[in-house]
Amino acid sequence: MNVESTRVAVVACPDWQAVAAQCELRARGQVFEAVAVLHAQRVIARTAAAAAHGVQVGMRKREAQGACPHMHIATHSPERDRLMFEPVVRAIAELAPLVEVSMPGIVVLATRGPSRYVGGDDALAQRLTHIAEVALRELGQGQQIPFGVGIADGRLTAMIAARSAASVGQPRVVARNESAQCLAVLPVSVLADFAEVDRNVVSLLQRLGLAHLGNIAEIQPSILIGRFGPVGNEMHRLARGLDRHPPIVVAPPPERASTHRFDGPVEDINIVVLTAREVAEQLVAHLAAHGASCVRVHISLHTDHGEQSDRVWYQPEGLTAAAMAERVRWQMEAWVASRAVTSGVVLFRLSPIGLRAREGRQLGLWGGSTQADEWAERAIERLTAMLGAQSVLVPEWRGGRDPAEIFALTSASVVDIERRALSCVESETQWQGALPTPSPSVVYDDPLPIMVCSEDGAEVTVSGRHELSAEPSVVILQQHQYSVISWAGPWPVEERWWDPARQRRMVRMQIVVSRNDAATTTRALVVVREHGKWWVVARYG
Amino acid sequence: MRAALDPALLQATTSSVFRHESLPTLPVSPDLRAMFPEGGLVRGRTVLCGGDAAVALALRIVSQPTQAGSWLGVVGVHNIGVQAASEQGVALQRVVFVQPATSRAEWVSTVAAAADGFDVLMLEVPHGITVADARRVQTRIQSRRNALVLIGATQKLALQSVFQPDVVMDTTTTQWNGIERGSGHVQSREVCVTVSGRRVPKAQQYSLRFVG
Repeated sequence: MNVESTRVAVVACPDWQAVAAQCELRARGQVFEAVAVLHAQRVIARTAAAAAHGVQVGMRKREAQGACPHMHIATHSPERDRLMFEPVVRAIAELAPLVEVSMPGIVVLATRGPSRYVGGDDALAQRLTHIAEVALRELGQGQQIPFGVGIADGRLTAMIAARSAASVGQPRVVARNESAQCLAVLPVSVLADFAEVDRNVVSLLQRLGLAHLGNIAEIQPSILIGRFGPVGNEMHRLARGLDRHPPIVVAPPPERASTHRFDGPVEDINIVVLTAREVAEQLVAHLAAHGASCVRVHISLHTDHGEQSDRVWYQPEGLTAAAMAERVRWQMEAWVASRAVTSGVVLFRLSPIGLRAREGRQLGLWGGSTQADEWAERAIERLTAMLGAQSVLVPEWRGGRDPAEIFALTSASVVDIERRALSCVESETQWQGALPTPSPSVVYDDPLPIMVCSEDGAEVTVSGRHELSAEPSVVILQQHQYSVISWAGPWPVEERWWDPARQRRMVRMQIVVSRNDAATTTRALVVVREHGKWWVVARYG
Repeated sequence: MRAALDPALLQATTSSVFRHESLPTLPVSPDLRAMFPEGGLVRGRTVLCGGDAAVALALRIVSQPTQAGSWLGVVGVHNIGVQAASEQGVALQRVVFVQPATSRAEWVSTVAAAADGFDVLMLEVPHGITVADARRVQTRIQSRRNALVLIGATQKLALQSVFQPDVVMDTTTTQWNGIERGSGHVQSREVCVTVSGRRVPKAQQYSLRFVG
């Protein structure tokens, strides 16, 4: 038997983000066949119906809408992806107690025990197919959700087998020691699709004439290491069907499992997570002192009533203390949401079961992360634990015409702060029809009603040809009367006219006003007229 | 003694003396430098921005520190225009927006937790904060060496009685450029800033121009 790779089974639902969004919409009574999930203006997942219309992963929003106008576009929500996938994970965990969820939509389990129990890999594949089918049918309320089951030596081969099984509709089992032959004919782009190898590296391989994984496996590893560094070695191992990192053969450091026992049952998730963070910090420091970092961690939670939750979490680049605490939180939340918990947590255990040699972290060429970034990261963790994920937010550029739409605020706890600090968040391009710069510094989440009147006291209206009925002279805002000094507009804004449910038609104006009693203070406002009413949407504060 | 005359040693000694005397500051953009007595945002101190251009001025003040690598925590400031912040030069990858809980005690502990992680804090003070709460926050700011920028929109006098700002910057927009009666659009604004406060020897007026 090949000792350098573990035989694993993978259950994969392709485009899970889109399927999860679709299921969530259906639970709210909105049925959409075509759904796509967007992240940073690009499609990251789409349902089969959308794919049939030609919507591809990586398309920009407008291209995708052009291809399939009746498609529902959902925002990316890792939280939703995890929670919707939970029933599937729970169903599989009944067959194999220790399953690993590295990302929503994919379950990985070691076949050794379960396979012997059910009588071979083929039987296991059938069994997993049946379990997943039942769980997904319930989730999809009758509608079929595509999924695949693959069994092979090594994670990469099993993932690819599962993906091809999903398109065929039959489980796929790669026989023992045949992973390398199976991989040899595949294009190198699978490294980027399934093993998170950088796309630029893959593109370089293609330009070097290494089109297939077989070509990589034939080269001496030393040449690849010389050209690509540690990534070269990883790619060579992956191409040969081995696990990405060689298992550590030195004796693992003693006391590697960290167990924490609470004085009494703890019902607050935040307390468990914060304690786990402290314990994880000690564990990571202990492993680092022995030159190792943890790529797979087994998290076990026990309650006062004897319930138990076990999960394995995997991250190829190594789990930091923050990442481990985050996994504890995900596991706790999913467990609580499943209503399988009747009491507080009394004990948790973090056992690092996959270790790799610590290579140190690659920092950016210019500077890299600083002490300030580390402090900020900790403060974000702490604030998130105190206030909840929805109260600690970071801005992400989305683009739009409405000043409130250009940036969306996303929860800071689901953002890799360290990588973010090295990147640059700014508006990419200004949309046609957006407000001219400078932008208003106060943008109201809930627009304020305002009266815009002409000199004779009648409300100013806008005709179908975007002409004002009279010159605005007085505005009434929050029971105060202001006189209009100058104004600009009206500028028509028509959005999504092709979609009756989400179309918007309005006019926008800038108005400079002053209080009648104190003529020295002036304010500039952005007002819109929509559905026959004037609203203040922003202010130059 | 011979060693005392070594120029390198002499320089090291004098510079350490100066470092001890000069206050640790965060950089501000060149057009604001004259408004700060120390030439920058002093760590541990409080700046209050008031008047009708308070938010724009506050964003301008914090833009340079964020570009230089400091993190900005925006605690309890509602309706801030992120696009405007980006235009004022704020490095958005180092900005975190925090919505504190409504209760008074939790507001204080939220600000304290934010002070642990972010160099610069921007706060809008909610109603019901007492002098004792404000003092606790300011003590924390001083011990953690953060820079605190308060936004006081309208109830400036009420805020002043709660917090003890070191520098008060009151703004009045004197002119809007580019917009007329029915044509053009807002292109820039002229703002008159009155700088006063207990750390400012003499109240002075400056004029600033805000462009996107």
